[in-house]
Amino acid sequence: MFDLLLMLSRYVFLFYIVLFLWQGIVYIAYEQGGYLGSPYRAISIQRSLIVLMHVTAFLILAYNRETHLFGMQPLVFGAVSFVFLLAAVALLDRFYYEGCPLVWTGMLFLMDLSLIMLQRLSPALAQRQLLWMGIGLAGMLVLPFFFRLIPRFEVFEWAYIILCYGLLICTRFFGVEKGGSTNWLAFGPESFRITFQPSEIAKFLFIFYLASVFRKRLNWRSFFTTGILSAGLVLLLVLQKDLGGALIFFMTYMVMLYIATSNELLFLLGMGAASGAAMLAYKLFSHVRVRVAAWQNPWADIDFGGYQIVNALFAITTWGVFGSGLTKGMPKSIPVVESDMIFAAVCEEFGAAFGAGVIAIFIMLLYRGVRIALDCGRRYYAILAAGVTAMLSFQAFLILGGSIKLIPLTGVTLPFVSYGGSSVLVSLMMMGLLQWVCVYCEQHNRQEIEQEPILNGAEGGGFDE
Amino acid sequence: MNNMKRSIRRIFWLLALCFFLLLGYLGKLTLVDRQTISGNAYNTRLRYGDDTIRRGEIMDRDGEVIARSIPADGSGYNREYPRSRMAAHITGYSSVGKTGVEAAENFELMTLHNELFQRLGGILKKDELIGNSVKLTVDMDIQSAAGNLLGSAKGAVVVMEPSTGRVLALQAYPDFDPNKVAAQWENLKDHEDSPLLNRGTQGIYPPGSTFKTVTALAGIEYLPDWQTFTVECTGEAVFEDKIIHCYKNRAHGLVDMKGAMEGSCNCYFAALAQKIGAGKLAKTMERVGMKESCGFELAYTPNTVLLDSDSTESELVETAIGQGRTGVTPLYMAMLASAIANEGLMMRPYIVDHVVYPDGGMGKTTVPKKLTQICTPEEAAILKEMMVGVVENGTGGAASVSGVTVAGKTGTAENATGNDHSWFIGFAPAEEPKVAIAVLLENANDGNASAIAGKVLRAALEEMGE
Repeated sequence: MFDLLLMLSRYVFLFYIVLFLWQGIVYIAYEQGGYLGSPYRAISIQRSLIVLMHVTAFLILAYNRETHLFGMQPLVFGAVSFVFLLAAVALLDRFYYEGCPLVWTGMLFLMDLSLIMLQRLSPALAQRQLLWMGIGLAGMLVLPFFFRLIPRFEVFEWAYIILCYGLLICTRFFGVEKGGSTNWLAFGPESFRITFQPSEIAKFLFIFYLASVFRKRLNWRSFFTTGILSAGLVLLLVLQKDLGGALIFFMTYMVMLYIATSNELLFLLGMGAASGAAMLAYKLFSHVRVRVAAWQNPWADIDFGGYQIVNALFAITTWGVFGSGLTKGMPKSIPVVESDMIFAAVCEEFGAAFGAGVIAIFIMLLYRGVRIALDCGRRYYAILAAGVTAMLSFQAFLILGGSIKLIPLTGVTLPFVSYGGSSVLVSLMMMGLLQWVCVYCEQHNRQEIEQEPILNGAEGGGFDE
Repeated sequence: MNNMKRSIRRIFWLLALCFFLLLGYLGKLTLVDRQTISGNAYNTRLRYGDDTIRRGEIMDRDGEVIARSIPADGSGYNREYPRSRMAAHITGYSSVGKTGVEAAENFELMTLHNELFQRLGGILKKDELIGNSVKLTVDMDIQSAAGNLLGSAKGAVVVMEPSTGRVLALQAYPDFDPNKVAAQWENLKDHEDSPLLNRGTQGIYPPGSTFKTVTALAGIEYLPDWQTFTVECTGEAVFEDKIIHCYKNRAHGLVDMKGAMEGSCNCYFAALAQKIGAGKLAKTMERVGMKESCGFELAYTPNTVLLDSDSTESELVETAIGQGRTGVTPLYMAMLASAIANEGLMMRPYIVDHVVYPDGGMGKTTVPKKLTQICTPEEAAILKEMMVGVVENGTGGAASVSGVTVAGKTGTAENATGNDHSWFIGFAPAEEPKVAIAVLLENANDGNASAIAGKVLRAALEEMGE
């Protein structure tokens, strides 16, 4: 009987995500002037859908086939995370009153999916993930106060980049190895050890740095300094074998440069240089060649190099469009499933159609992020918002594409969904930043603060000249 | 500011495009590539469901079951192969890993049709969960005829339908008992005769004189005067640093192409190849699909083709008579014979005809597919005429079937492993070919491949309603 309910639950989950996306469309349509339904109702339906998904999933996860009883641990965890979700909805609404509600619901949907999937894969990790989400939420709530306190935080551009370098270089001395890269720091006693990736924090600072530099009209000197400093960061990441991180930093730089200068030639030149660098990296580093070979033909080397990607493909394709049903698949056969490969696990148990829905939610978030950047009157904030959106989207693309073999696999996390303390924390903070830009612009739109880009040196607090 | 907004919009479209690519690729994975990927033998997810789903059956063309699952004592199922060794290299086994059709159609055999209803029935009425069955193109009567004739001689027989590429029989010896693979595993896997190797699709052999069909084709294509080109055969000829002998040094006298084909004259074809040149012969070898992957469902080894325009003359003349370093599978030679029979059109060989649902409904059906056009219909007709001559007046007499015109070509391949291999490729009836065949006997020395081919052809023609 339970098996039958499980089979039906696959359609239920698909229904949830489809309705969720449809309500997103209803909301966006209203903003664009069309009317498909009340936008307020759309958002409250979306919230109810997250709650429903949460309840359905945790009931399935808690059920014990042998004893026909519900397990205590999953129920308690489900309840705790349920409270967390409700609290997040209420608090975020309050602290970011004029923020975009669609961004919140999209983000919460993904976070809930993360908790469900991690509870299914490894309850201990799910608990840690919830803890980090709690910390991230607290950080998000503090963010608006922080920004109000220091209204012109763009003047700290040098501080940002120096901190970036500091964070990346310190792993060379204090770093511990994990998953083939030595870009982790570890704290605390052995019993409750916290490891985190400084490069995640550096991402945040890097966007601040670039936005601070690019808010002014670029002269050649500052163009070269930022270029060289950014290239240095990318190079550091490559040396730490964090290829995904290096790509994300590079793309963020290119995107923000392009937005600031609107110069297609520079963008294309940069891409060309990147291709050249990629070719060079392919020739120089054996681990790059291994990755590319595993992408080109994982079937040739199933036992070793292609093992991870081949198992991910098995997971995605075996059960078809509707998936195996929660708990019925074998996601644990995929190496690093809880962080890098979580999308394959989602596709396996919820189905590829649900996976497509997850991609669509990312598209929705991307659209909202870009909308916020476009609606923003102040150049600095517009660049910040665009940078945050592009970085998160590109990161999502990298790992989604990697796990379905569209592009070579690089070990980065899927924002909001993958397990990873520093990743969740930083992703949430970035969303907070994005929403804060939204709030700021809503509040200042009437005052028509249209700050034209200011000529070099005039606003930079004397650092530039 | 407006410039910036335009740039932001562009970046949005760029990233959105990336995400749409993801959607498209995910769709392709799950809708188009699903079966090929998840059917892979490494996929533990399919083995995982083994004991709750009753694996589907494998049937021959007439519906005879050659692999089925029987409920075991307690829970789960045992796999049973009623024809045991007779179809071993077709069914393969499903115990210590999977091979043959068991591996190729693993996905279908474990897939529940109308899954929701089956599961409902399983819960409400305790019905069994039954996977899809597959119906093959193989005819067990031809298959057993071939098996009995091959007996315990090492070799392979491949029978095909030229117009479609259907494999009617695929017999190879040494073989194994698929019912006992798990029990005899230690012995089977390291046995010096490699009984688990399907010699029909995975064995690579020098083609010997059967390759002369290809050399002749190159001559017809590239030499305008091939009809008047003759050679005075003395039983041996010298090329560069290589002496070519005819079989048992027999002199054929003055021969043209037809005569040389019938008598299988090495000197003639070596001289012909010398005139054609290595580059052009290599091109013809490519055109007849020797380098192409044939896309057969069961595991196969690609042919070894090493001749190119830089090859030496010795290499060229050796290749022309099917010696040297060229290596082919019996499956390919059957495809070549089929293509000549089918007016030069080579079809993709296939062995799974369609999927059968547990309720008897018909599932996915394989559609015959063109592989390549190896030559024009006129050229194919010329080759056919010569091959008829081989059986009627030449070395292939043993392959003749009373009342039917058989076209064929014999071969004797010298090799490093011992006595010569014996080959026969051909088809019948020559006027309207229904069956094509390739027979290979390892280290047989005498020409009994032709005799086996004749008898298998007769059995096959009877089965095919001739």
